Amino acid sequence: MKLQEAHRTATAIFKKRGWKVFKFQRDTWNAYASGESGLVHAPTGTGKTYAVWIPPLVEWMTEQDKAGKAKRAPGLSVLWITPLRALVEDTKLSLLEFCEEMDLPWTVEARTGDTSGTNKARQRKRLPSCLVTTPESLSVLLSYPDFKDSAAGLKAVIVDEWHELLSTKRGIQTELCLARLRKWNPRMRTWGLSATLGNLDVARSALLGTSAEGKLINGGLKKKFQVEAIVPRDMERFPWAGHLGGKLVEQVAERIEKASTTLVFTNVRSQTEYWFNALLMIKPKWEGEIGIHHGSINRKTRQEIEDRLRLGTIKAVVCTSSLDLGVDFSPVDQVIQIGGPKGVARLLQRAGRCGHQPGVASKVICVPTQAMELVEFAAARDAIEQMKIENRVPLRAPLDLLAQHLVTLALGEGFSHKAGLEEIRTAWSYRDLTKEEWGWTLDFIIKGGKSLSAYDQFKRVTRKRGVFSVESRKVERFHRMSIGTITSDPAILVKMRSGKALGSVEESFISRIEPGKNFFFGGKLLVLERVRDLTAYVGLAKSKKGTIPVWGGGKSPVSSELAQSVREKLRDAAEGIFEGREMKAMKETLALQANWSSLPGTNQFLIEKTKTRQGTSWFLFPFAGRLAHEGMAALVGYRMSKMEPMTLSVSFNDYGFHLCSNSDREIGNEEWKTLLSPVDLLNELVECMNLSEMAKRQFREIARVAGLVFQGYPGAPKSGRQLQASGGLFFDVFSKYEPNNLLLVQSQREVLERQLEVERIKEAFTRIQEQSLILNHPDKLTPFSFPLWAESVRAQLSTESWGDRVRKMAVILEDSA
Amino acid sequence: MGRPGPKNGRNFGGLRLKHASNSVEISWQGEKLELWSAKAIHWPAKKLLLVADTHFGKAATFRKSGIPVPESTSQDDCHRLEELVRQTKVDSLVFLGDFLHARDGRTEGVHKELLDWRKRLSRIAVHLVRGNHDLQSGDPWPDLEIQCHREPWTEFKFDLRHHPVGPTAHPFMAGHIHPGFSLKEKSGSSLRSPCFQVGKNRIILPAFGTFTGIKTVKPDRDDRIFMTDGQEVIEVPTY
Repeated sequence: MKLQEAHRTATAIFKKRGWKVFKFQRDTWNAYASGESGLVHAPTGTGKTYAVWIPPLVEWMTEQDKAGKAKRAPGLSVLWITPLRALVEDTKLSLLEFCEEMDLPWTVEARTGDTSGTNKARQRKRLPSCLVTTPESLSVLLSYPDFKDSAAGLKAVIVDEWHELLSTKRGIQTELCLARLRKWNPRMRTWGLSATLGNLDVARSALLGTSAEGKLINGGLKKKFQVEAIVPRDMERFPWAGHLGGKLVEQVAERIEKASTTLVFTNVRSQTEYWFNALLMIKPKWEGEIGIHHGSINRKTRQEIEDRLRLGTIKAVVCTSSLDLGVDFSPVDQVIQIGGPKGVARLLQRAGRCGHQPGVASKVICVPTQAMELVEFAAARDAIEQMKIENRVPLRAPLDLLAQHLVTLALGEGFSHKAGLEEIRTAWSYRDLTKEEWGWTLDFIIKGGKSLSAYDQFKRVTRKRGVFSVESRKVERFHRMSIGTITSDPAILVKMRSGKALGSVEESFISRIEPGKNFFFGGKLLVLERVRDLTAYVGLAKSKKGTIPVWGGGKSPVSSELAQSVREKLRDAAEGIFEGREMKAMKETLALQANWSSLPGTNQFLIEKTKTRQGTSWFLFPFAGRLAHEGMAALVGYRMSKMEPMTLSVSFNDYGFHLCSNSDREIGNEEWKTLLSPVDLLNELVECMNLSEMAKRQFREIARVAGLVFQGYPGAPKSGRQLQASGGLFFDVFSKYEPNNLLLVQSQREVLERQLEVERIKEAFTRIQEQSLILNHPDKLTPFSFPLWAESVRAQLSTESWGDRVRKMAVILEDSA
Repeated sequence: MGRPGPKNGRNFGGLRLKHASNSVEISWQGEKLELWSAKAIHWPAKKLLLVADTHFGKAATFRKSGIPVPESTSQDDCHRLEELVRQTKVDSLVFLGDFLHARDGRTEGVHKELLDWRKRLSRIAVHLVRGNHDLQSGDPWPDLEIQCHREPWTEFKFDLRHHPVGPTAHPFMAGHIHPGFSLKEKSGSSLRSPCFQVGKNRIILPAFGTFTGIKTVKPDRDDRIFMTDGQEVIEVPTY
């Protein structure tokens, strides 16, 4: 069959389904046919899947006719990688459906951690034509020596939702796996599917590695987005975080009532529990008609909710990012976002969950939880119009993952010193991996680090005739079980007396609840009975009151792009421009701010000094996101106390930070510029942030990935009891005996980059140096400062020794007893 | 009024907190005991030093399974024990269980290190009250000359055990738990360290081994908690 003819067959099916072929789809088909790789970016629900699924099928059809009509399914030809296990089954079905309509004998199967042992074994004997899997499962496949032969006929790897993987360790794991597959099969094509990002070229490079150029195909179409906020009926001028939302429950309920199926997105899991219960409180008849969905809820329960969404038999689902991704829930006709979206890409993604019919706008209704979020919504709308979308930056050469991957390779085909380094360097994140880093990582898995005693029996990877491999069966077993434990900390399983699993919560939460006390989980009010062996046994509560769990992971900060847009909105307001309903609603509040203090323009930086009951409060407003503000507050406080000894407490939010002191010092323009200087920033930050504690926490993940902590998996028999040690313990031991351990360096770097966003701090400080300072002394709290004051978490700056800290805390406890 | 605290002592709201001290003296069941920051108890009247949960060979066990842990941890622990014995001038040393971590950890390297250590301390008597790990890993090499006992070992005034037991008429000292205590600030940040848990009838020692974890304990009503970071030992309030 000729290529064009085969394409016509595919087009016919489009026609039968009532679709037409878009230009970007045809472009992708042609690029694939000429042997190219690339990245297709478009919002959800635009047919990206068929842009990349049809070409390999069509190619196979053309080959068949050359070799006479074969009706047997080919061996492994396409690997389809998706970030979420939950997506695997759905993806499989929709790929398979198309094959059947085309009347092709292709087999499509799923393989994840959930796939049964028998199926896995069968698959290893004969892989399907297309295997739908996750990065972890692909990595496990690479650890089997015979996988190389099964993958000999591999034509293409498709990576779905690449934007989601890109800046994570799982994305880098994908990069490394692709590097190996390409080494086996240099002509293999790689195609990624991504939502729109600010740095698509980087996204493409990371996917394709250093060896190929590749296409970037825009499937953007002219998808329309509408962002509309619910404006509170009576605007409060001083609302604090989380307070406003509750007043809007009725308005939200009205919207849900009018639509047929609504997704209600919140930013954190605890908010999901709150809103679900709040909605049921005012609409008891919705019991059973609305659902709750977040990452801690039992997978089966989540699956039921997803099925009902697909069928349109559920009124509304309150959810977190757990439903950001996934196959299309066509019946969803309305999306509500509770709280600031924090990012433009995220809001687009969520809005894209509805309005799938071509030409229909994706509309998202935004609900502010504090007044300033109205500005955020207006800013997000501007950013969407100007297509100012966030960048996602891949991590640079994480060695924990490299160590894991090298053991995987050693278990599989093996690798040699020189070719191994070359191969790893074709993965984008490791393109400038130094010889030193490579050598250190090899030492780490071969000798267990630099230190090697005469009696050492360290065994993980051994070298024979130049090839690194694994000999120990124990290492083999542990390693396969450990691949894919990148994701999370061990959690406490929540189980009913009857044995029904409800989901999981973090240990830190459950340890604060006494048996007999109530808490909300999965929309139910439960009573804790006892905790045993990582399981919390619960029953349904009899009384009505309970606590809402606070999960870790926390809030993500407002993105640089969105923060920039917010600053522009305020600048407009300062000039008297109030566009859109949201900004008009904010007019009075912002006027008050201008009246009592100031609204900063683009070249201005606002500082307010106010007397409060706690002492002197300084409020600074860099609009750089909460993480950067946390670091900035600590740093400025540290520098202030070097000028004059003083006790300080700090608080921060996405817009600014607050320093409260017992000193009444007058700080002038010049002094402020010094306090906010980017000079020597990194060193001082390390000194004042208790960085080693943060690094220690970060090290838990690193220890897991690098294979130091063997965690097993939930429900696994407790093997290796003698090999249990926590990541924190490894951190302490390494710090003491091997301070040059590069994994320690990595943990510190990850803290600076990911938790403190040190680049944004630098950027903000540099910007402030060029701005003119407005120092105001309002005699009352202003609309800007009020939320900071109200939220003020009294975090003392702690730079003292262990002993001093213990003594101080002891005294505070003593006083309050 | 009571006499002023020991040197460098300070008074904080009724709490006597010594400054930077590497041991604290307590009076317990009519005996004077010293809690050392190096995670040992010195009982001067009996010229006795007690430590729990050394877990020698734990690093070796890990390394044998391909998990890289620096080996010098056990060397360090030996030095610390030696230093303690030298400073307290005791005649006997008692391990309250879990001397060796696991059978896999009985390597030549660990044996040699312990033998060197024992030779340097040949003058004192060494005892082990067997713990759960010792049952799995077996008694120490005979040339270490460590006398092993089943718990409770009742040679002295108090029961010496590995596993703590419930309410009992016999006051005892034990290990096994690896107790740690967590102080929480209002801001939510917390500080966690190993601790001695001293109750009316029992004392639980912190784990001595460097490469051992800690378990945060909830003190009983009449418990006193002494936190230590290895350098200092400080009593903290428990409410």
